[in-house]
Amino acid sequence: MPEQPMLIIDGHLDLAFNALYHRRDLTQDVHVLREREDPKPPGPSHPDSLRDRKRPESTSRGTATVSLPQMRQGCVGIALSTIMCRVQMPTGLLDDGMRTQETAHSMGQSHLHYYKALEREGQLRFIHDTSDLNAAIAAWQNPDSTTPIGLILSMESADPILDPEQVSWWWEQGLRSVGLTHFGANTWGHGTGTRGGLYADAYPLLDALAATNIALDLTHASDLVFWQLLDYWSGPVHASHCNCRALVPGQRHLSDEMIQAIAERGGVIGAVFAEFMLNPEINFDDPATYPQTARRPMSAVVDHIDHICQLVGNCDHVAIGSDLDGGFGREMAPIDYDTIADLQRFLAILDRRGYSTGDIAAIAHGNLSRFFRQAWS
Amino acid sequence: MTDARPLIFDSHLDLAFSALQINRDLTQKATTVRVHDSVQTMEGFGSCTVTFPELRRGKVGLFCGTVMSRLDPNDRWTRTGMYCQAQCHGVGRGHLAYYQALEREGLLRFVKSIEDLDETIAAWQNPDPTTPFGLILAMESADPILGPDQVPEWRELGLRLVSISHYGTSTYSHGTGTEGGLLPPAKPLLDALKAAGIIVDLTHLTDQAHWELLEVYDGPVCASHHNCRTLVPGQRQLTDGMIRSIAERDGVIGAAFDAWMLDPGWQRKVPAFEQLTNATLETVADHIDHTCQLLGTSRHCGIGTDLDGGFGTEQAPRNLNTIADLQKLQPILARRGYSPADIAGIFSGNWIRFFKDVWNCS
Repeated sequence: MPEQPMLIIDGHLDLAFNALYHRRDLTQDVHVLREREDPKPPGPSHPDSLRDRKRPESTSRGTATVSLPQMRQGCVGIALSTIMCRVQMPTGLLDDGMRTQETAHSMGQSHLHYYKALEREGQLRFIHDTSDLNAAIAAWQNPDSTTPIGLILSMESADPILDPEQVSWWWEQGLRSVGLTHFGANTWGHGTGTRGGLYADAYPLLDALAATNIALDLTHASDLVFWQLLDYWSGPVHASHCNCRALVPGQRHLSDEMIQAIAERGGVIGAVFAEFMLNPEINFDDPATYPQTARRPMSAVVDHIDHICQLVGNCDHVAIGSDLDGGFGREMAPIDYDTIADLQRFLAILDRRGYSTGDIAAIAHGNLSRFFRQAWS
Repeated sequence: MTDARPLIFDSHLDLAFSALQINRDLTQKATTVRVHDSVQTMEGFGSCTVTFPELRRGKVGLFCGTVMSRLDPNDRWTRTGMYCQAQCHGVGRGHLAYYQALEREGLLRFVKSIEDLDETIAAWQNPDPTTPFGLILAMESADPILGPDQVPEWRELGLRLVSISHYGTSTYSHGTGTEGGLLPPAKPLLDALKAAGIIVDLTHLTDQAHWELLEVYDGPVCASHHNCRTLVPGQRQLTDGMIRSIAERDGVIGAAFDAWMLDPGWQRKVPAFEQLTNATLETVADHIDHTCQLLGTSRHCGIGTDLDGGFGTEQAPRNLNTIADLQKLQPILARRGYSPADIAGIFSGNWIRFFKDVWNCS
């Protein structure tokens, strides 16, 4: 294990969602964000100010762990970060679904333009193609405090794509990975927590997506949708943030058969750092089993990586897809994890568990960079 | 059969905010949206008043629809005030995208020029159930504009009216609920707005910023949703001097339909669902009348309801159920002696003239 921090490509972060829905200014240190989320604002208020009126917070936030300074600190120099806005009736458990596809599309554009505003400030740089990717990897071999974080734009639930004709526009905006579904049944088909397949309109959408070099993300597909997608789609596939059903129960996780199918197609599976997906006592499909706090350490994530590597016989199909701050905070993240900078400590755990430096580099960044180079060639 | 009712121009509606942040399907009737809204939404933002079917019923065929996102870390009410401009820009572009998505469906059209305006007015002389609404794109708080160099891009995207502050302190100026004036970035922004032919909306400025702005900026101004401080005390309302200053620039003032701005007894810190306002549509007419009497003409009065701008029917005039009830203002003004021409001016003519005059010059 080298002394230097190693570049990490995180396969799944919801940065824009955190910035706009939870109104976190991600250019600030995580500890500033935590202080800001203290419920009592300082100072006196003007009679015409809004601050003394109060509405409840969103239920699904938790304590912040991800921001750009902590990503820099942890050498998380490249990330797939989402446009995340699905059509779903808001519920007590999940209050962020939109009511119509038009509003989901608009919220998706909010996410896009937040990233563009950060690019204008030099905080981020969009990665559109192999040369951008190579440049970002090179810059992160020797980063300084201003090195922009490389962004591979992804979309979690394709509701913001209004119709197949709009696919090329999204590709031009930089979109490089799309998952069709998310929680619930969305515009194009059935996702996590539901049983059912693709809707008929999904096929023309897939045709339009196939005309680009976009990667299809199988995360959050229902079981039926997973296999329908693999049958119909011949382009690149991955699972940006999924763990193993052999270790934890629930449809949200990949069965061994699914893992093998992804590996056969050259895909990469990102391991998730959430208690819901690490604790075998929790069934993801049954909120009654959800705990109040996490009890698993980061080494539980290694168990999932191990399982995949043993199953497919090599280390070529695993990555980090942390999903940190993706609807949960520090409370539901591994107990030995505080901020995303700790992902470097995760690499040290891989080292202790016997992974070679080459394997660690593949998991940290090599497999995802290979996957996208192939997709874009 | 012709529709003899006057066309209404509403100079301030936060439609995209309602659709995206309150999370409503505005293609439904207000009564349907009320059933769909969660208890938390109803208590936080009030009962829905403005949707496209209601606008159609009220013949509100033209409106300024906002891009609305501001810096306001202390906003504990709507929890949408932001900490940095990149966030505001993101939200603001989403609002724009919403209007664009509706234009794509044919539900509305962007009004960017005198021709667009004339075509929309002609279509609304005899509207059918599919006549597109006319949208003039406005911005409440200029925080989504990342710098003066971005103003031409926003103009290109359709932006025609901007207020540089809102609640709290924006990048450019102190606004409602604060004390202070313009901030250094204001002047270059105002210069860029003037050069681009984008109108400055004085609503939500502090008193100090109001006068400073008129000092440093000599372009067209208006107040999109603003009532009279003589009738309702508080920084949020215009003093008689401010009303005159807007009229001197030939601006128009849109009467706001928020009980907080109509009813001196309205308690800001008590939830809307725990109080009843005494304000009615007659109270709105009082504010319009005050401005008309002060200026000796109805030329500078319009309607800028702000309905569903963070509040619902509970905080609107008590005899207003949905925005379709705006037509009830016609007999109220007529009884007070306003001529049909005056009423047509207040309902839409004054705003139309205002935009035409500005666009004729730019």
